[in-house]
Amino acid sequence: MKQVNMLAMILAGGRGSRLHELTDKVAKPAVSYGGKYRIIDFPLSNCANSGIDIVGVLTQYESVLLNSYVAAGGRWGLDTKDSGVFVLTPREKADTGLDVYRGTADAISQNIDFIDQYDPEYLLILSGDHIYKMNYAKMLAFHREHNADATIAVIGVPMREASRFGIMNTGEDGKIVEFQEKPAHPVSNLASMGIYIFNWKMLRRMLVADMKDPASDHDFGKNIIPQMLADGRSLYAWQFKGYWKDVGTIDSLWEANMDLLDKKNKLDLDDPTWKIYTEDASALPAYIGPDAEMERVYITQGCHAEGKVKNSVLFTDSEVRAGAQVTDTVLMPGACVEEGAVVTRALVAEGVRIGRGAVVGSADSESILLVAKNVKGVD
Amino acid sequence: MAKAFGIVTSTPRRIHVAGLQDYRSAAAFSFLGRYRVIDFPISNLSNSGIDNIQVYLNKQPRSLTEHLGTGRNYNINSKRGRLQLLYHSQTGTNELYNTDVSGFLDNMDYIQRMSPDYVVIEPCYMIYAQDYDELLERHIESGADITMLYHKVDNAKDHFLSCRVVSLDKDKHITSLTENRCNAKENNIFMDSYVMKKDLFIDLVRKTYDFSSTYSIAQMISVLCTEGKLDIRGIAHHGFFAAINDLNAYYEANMDLLDISMAEELFSPDWPIYTRTSDSCPTQIFEGAEVKRSMISNGCLIEGTVENSVIGRGVVIRRGAVVRNSVLLAYCTIGEGVNLNNEIVDKWASITHTMKLEGEPGKPGYVKRSDVL
Repeated sequence: MKQVNMLAMILAGGRGSRLHELTDKVAKPAVSYGGKYRIIDFPLSNCANSGIDIVGVLTQYESVLLNSYVAAGGRWGLDTKDSGVFVLTPREKADTGLDVYRGTADAISQNIDFIDQYDPEYLLILSGDHIYKMNYAKMLAFHREHNADATIAVIGVPMREASRFGIMNTGEDGKIVEFQEKPAHPVSNLASMGIYIFNWKMLRRMLVADMKDPASDHDFGKNIIPQMLADGRSLYAWQFKGYWKDVGTIDSLWEANMDLLDKKNKLDLDDPTWKIYTEDASALPAYIGPDAEMERVYITQGCHAEGKVKNSVLFTDSEVRAGAQVTDTVLMPGACVEEGAVVTRALVAEGVRIGRGAVVGSADSESILLVAKNVKGVD
Repeated sequence: MAKAFGIVTSTPRRIHVAGLQDYRSAAAFSFLGRYRVIDFPISNLSNSGIDNIQVYLNKQPRSLTEHLGTGRNYNINSKRGRLQLLYHSQTGTNELYNTDVSGFLDNMDYIQRMSPDYVVIEPCYMIYAQDYDELLERHIESGADITMLYHKVDNAKDHFLSCRVVSLDKDKHITSLTENRCNAKENNIFMDSYVMKKDLFIDLVRKTYDFSSTYSIAQMISVLCTEGKLDIRGIAHHGFFAAINDLNAYYEANMDLLDISMAEELFSPDWPIYTRTSDSCPTQIFEGAEVKRSMISNGCLIEGTVENSVIGRGVVIRRGAVVRNSVLLAYCTIGEGVNLNNEIVDKWASITHTMKLEGEPGKPGYVKRSDVL
């Protein structure tokens, strides 16, 4: 097989249990975002736009939809002779039994055979649950420039929130001197984005050793990175400046959608040089009815709005019927707000119907209401 | 294996859509924001299970070639089906020679190599949904030699100017096929669509050329149906129908589909209309905007007022701009405070200095592609 310079592996196995019913049927990376996308469109499009041709997607939890979704690599332009998206679920091999991925590092270890086929110089590890646009080629250039063994992408977070993240303490040139997982008293605000570039030959040796270590959690953050630091390897932090959001909770998923309503928002999905690709729906353009009122709305094809929509994101095929009011709300694909219903500060899950005249959510609620089941109408 | 292969003919010489056609063939016109006119005939064939399709191109092939590509967007199986783009240029120095027949003769080898026994022929400038599998069954059952599709309209006096009309006897035999002379309100507009056996079709192509090298298949059939040697029948089409035969027809077809019940009839979930995605992000409607009774494609930024209009992909409508009763093609910009009414604005045009443009009902204005006004 043709040798590739850098191969990407996306860790998409997580359940995302803090998204509650949204991930009952689909894995977190397959959750919808931004009107027409799924979360995993972001790392996949970033790979395609960064010139990475081979992408492995490691799936495990509720992966039927995710598997068939990413297998159509053509959506992201990853379907030429030398490129492809490969779904890698835990497999039974000749010398081992069928085993789930025991940790992030184990997911890679169990697919050493897959990676070896391409004999890459560098391995890029990504997670499938963040919204951001990143040129991984720039990160690789930094990695090579510093002759690093590993490079970790970091982002500056507010100091008061730093104790929620894995924090990198670095020297002036970006060399990592210490890694602290969720420190009580952080000394730096550079949080790990869970994006790593490793020199494959070195990482491969470490993974083989890690697999045999019964005391290991087989996790990059807990085991591999601390081990590398202990071994005196050169690890560098590459600072990313741009929009980045972990959409792990209902509130943060809602917020990330609301961010799209701002004029010239930092994510800029309209950038023709860095498009985010996704599944194409055969649907009419958005139709806005004669009595509709629309203000600060992010809307996509297949939507049909007859009522009043304010400060909201409408996903593919969602519907707001006559006399309905939708405010500060995310309507996921195919969600329908029937005649006269009022929905405020809510995230309405895929295909859910809010019946006629029903009132859902409230303007002064502390957190966002997830509506995952049909709501009966009021007669 | 489908019983028929499909042919989508090139824009006939009698069709002229002022402005738009300077840049592309009628088949490649943008329609209802995210579609092209040719998406309808090709989706009809694809949804009918016909996956060997020939598309004839004569002039301005770039736009259409880019749009159609390998046919993958039309749900055509690339291993067992095929979308062929066939060029013909036998128009010589005289436009008179520009006929469908000249295209067929130029590509006769590829027609002969088609293995299905029947052929379905569709025009590239008409918009409608039709199940050709069902039509083919009816054709075979009736024992007719040729079955033609028509649509009964009640506005033929001032519409469908360059189209043809058919008259039928009580057994639905076509008794005449003539030009629409606009002398009656009610008329049967011929939809330039036929079903027949492949062998008969090949025979007909050759016979037509021998009869007159400037004749089209339709002109030949108008001779044949009065002779009575062939069994030629008509089947009425029901549902939405539009012929894009001039600029006003293009405008009205877009406007008619702002009636959402009409649009939902044409775009039924079990008859998807396929097109090529442009991977645009969703549309942003800002504070202060007012949008009513409009179709809005993806990738737009809307700060102004939009009423009763069709908005293409990536259009920018700035603060205070008012767009009414208009069709805006992709990537155009309507500047602050600009007022548009009854206008068609072609791709990439930017209207920022001319504060008011107003076409007349029945005679929409047209702004050229990439123009800055």
